[in-house]
Amino acid sequence: MLNNSIVKMSAFHSIIHESSVLAPTGDKKHRNIVADLLLTALIDAFSILVIFLLMSFSSTGELLMVGKGMELPKASGDTLERNPVVKFEEGKLFLEDQEVTPNSLVQALLDLRKTHQENRPGEPFPEQLTVQADRRAKFEQLSAIVQASAQAGFSDIKFAVVMK
Amino acid sequence: MSKKHKHLEFEINLIPAIDLLSVCICFLLLTAVWLHVGALNVKQAVGGQPASETAKKPTVWVQINGQGDVALDVRDARVPAKLAKAKVPGKEGKPDLEALKALALELKSAEPTLTTVLIQPQAATVYEAIIDVMDSFKKQGMIDLGVSPL
Repeated sequence: MLNNSIVKMSAFHSIIHESSVLAPTGDKKHRNIVADLLLTALIDAFSILVIFLLMSFSSTGELLMVGKGMELPKASGDTLERNPVVKFEEGKLFLEDQEVTPNSLVQALLDLRKTHQENRPGEPFPEQLTVQADRRAKFEQLSAIVQASAQAGFSDIKFAVVMK
Repeated sequence: MSKKHKHLEFEINLIPAIDLLSVCICFLLLTAVWLHVGALNVKQAVGGQPASETAKKPTVWVQINGQGDVALDVRDARVPAKLAKAKVPGKEGKPDLEALKALALELKSAEPTLTTVLIQPQAATVYEAIIDVMDSFKKQGMIDLGVSPL
């Protein structure tokens, strides 16, 4: 009965075809049921994955940690460099992940400058600041950063954006 | 000389290649940066020099309000009066970037030395609108951007 079953009539034929048919009293001959894996196709797929991942690889890593609720504005910007980061998140200001107030930001930036000069004497201070803020933020909240950076002598502000 | 036919068929051992590729994929997946963050550079005039001593450069002063309306004021440049004091009304609360792009293009063709743009946002101006406006000007070759605080 099994010989005439749908399994037997199936168009699918494989190396283990005979073994897949439920035939307890079927032929007892030892058949070779070693299945060849197509490794070439696997290597092809892996190579494509490696190429794709290499294209999105960044040697500098992630310089900014963008929080869950934060959306950066989109623009065709330049490459981001490692600078002191002032972050405006959930109504609070952070300088290098340390919470600061708009009034204490100038002093905190000056301290940062002083520390750099003490640690690396003779090396010019980069005077660059990265600003990270949500795209929906109002300028009244960010104006303090612009003002403080000018007062502390940070001549270049780099607004963090998502590259278009 | 032996004329024996050598067996030329051989199998490449693919297992080390698969091992290597698997390790590569794991490493790259862990170190991949999915969000490409860049920076829009803005130079602040720190004011080390008196205004009288500073050489006058053609400058565009751009005012943006909370509704996305943009008002341009071109100073120290030879541009037609129509362009010198132009206004671009906002579109759905955001700056009309297409109109702004066309205007920036006209300005640049009228005064090719125009590279300085100073943005004057208002308290209610959205950060994204400032970035969009700066990006529009930067794309037209006006690369010296500045933002004035309130």
